[in-house]
Amino acid sequence: MNPCPPNPSPEHIASCEECSVAAVVAPWMKRFASLNERQHILPHPSIVWLKAQVLRSSSEAARASRPMTYVQFFAYGLVASGWAALLTWKWEAIQELLRPFNATNIASGSFSVSSVPMFGALMLLATVTVTLALHTILAEE
Amino acid sequence: MLAPGLTLPAPLPAIDSPAGGAPRRLDEVRFEALYRRTASALWSYLYRMTGDAAAADDLMQKAFFRLLRANPVLASDEHARRWIFKTATNLAFDYFRETKRERGHVVDMKEALSSESRELRHDMMRTFAELKPRDRALLWLAHVEEEDHDSIGEALGVKSGSVRVLLFRARKKLAELLTKKGLAP
Repeated sequence: MNPCPPNPSPEHIASCEECSVAAVVAPWMKRFASLNERQHILPHPSIVWLKAQVLRSSSEAARASRPMTYVQFFAYGLVASGWAALLTWKWEAIQELLRPFNATNIASGSFSVSSVPMFGALMLLATVTVTLALHTILAEE
Repeated sequence: MLAPGLTLPAPLPAIDSPAGGAPRRLDEVRFEALYRRTASALWSYLYRMTGDAAAADDLMQKAFFRLLRANPVLASDEHARRWIFKTATNLAFDYFRETKRERGHVVDMKEALSSESRELRHDMMRTFAELKPRDRALLWLAHVEEEDHDSIGEALGVKSGSVRVLLFRARKKLAELLTKKGLAP
């Protein structure tokens, strides 16, 4: 397309499709732009400034706590896989460990732990799970 | 000439860096000045783009939030204006993508206009809303903001050489719509 003059003559407009289309659209656009909308009140600049500062500090806080969030997710994965591994591979040992904990033995107080390492692993995993749950709840609050 | 007793308000500080000085970042005073100069035009642009006053409010504020978060080095008022219009255009396109609502959506503002004015506005808004978002942006920036092809290209993320062709197509579409509706002069 060849460049059109900035103020085309009526003859040019009649012979140039680009200018004739612009001549149709331009007055309509001006009228469209001049529609009264003055009654719409824009927020005060100081409010926008303040909101931006608040948003900025909250996004900075989120950025600062991001590593902690990653650690937390890693811990969830670790605990879940710990339980899954323990229950899958040591299910029989766990059953054996829990067998003495029946009502009769508890009532008479005559139960003993058959496997101390297994009992220790169970207690450790349970403690980590509870700690993680408490940390999540308290962090959210 | 001002009437007796009337005084002009104090001029707002411009972003333009002093002669030979380095470009400046925005502080609150400069932000306020920029906001007062551009917010109204930006809101009108976003309102005509989206057809929704609430969406225009939201997008305009987001554009200013982005400006303050990015805190770019702005060489002049013109640079700041280009930056904010480009950001607002991107936000408007994101809005269309998220809402999957590109055409034919016009939410009337609740205001005390005569029914004739309201009808005229509604007809014009609906006609404009029938265009694609990019065509709306092109036409508004070219005819109302009177931006040159470089600025329009920058705002829309297209080469300035393509703007002329795209603008011609957008004008043609609008002219066809106006002719079809009997609104062409």
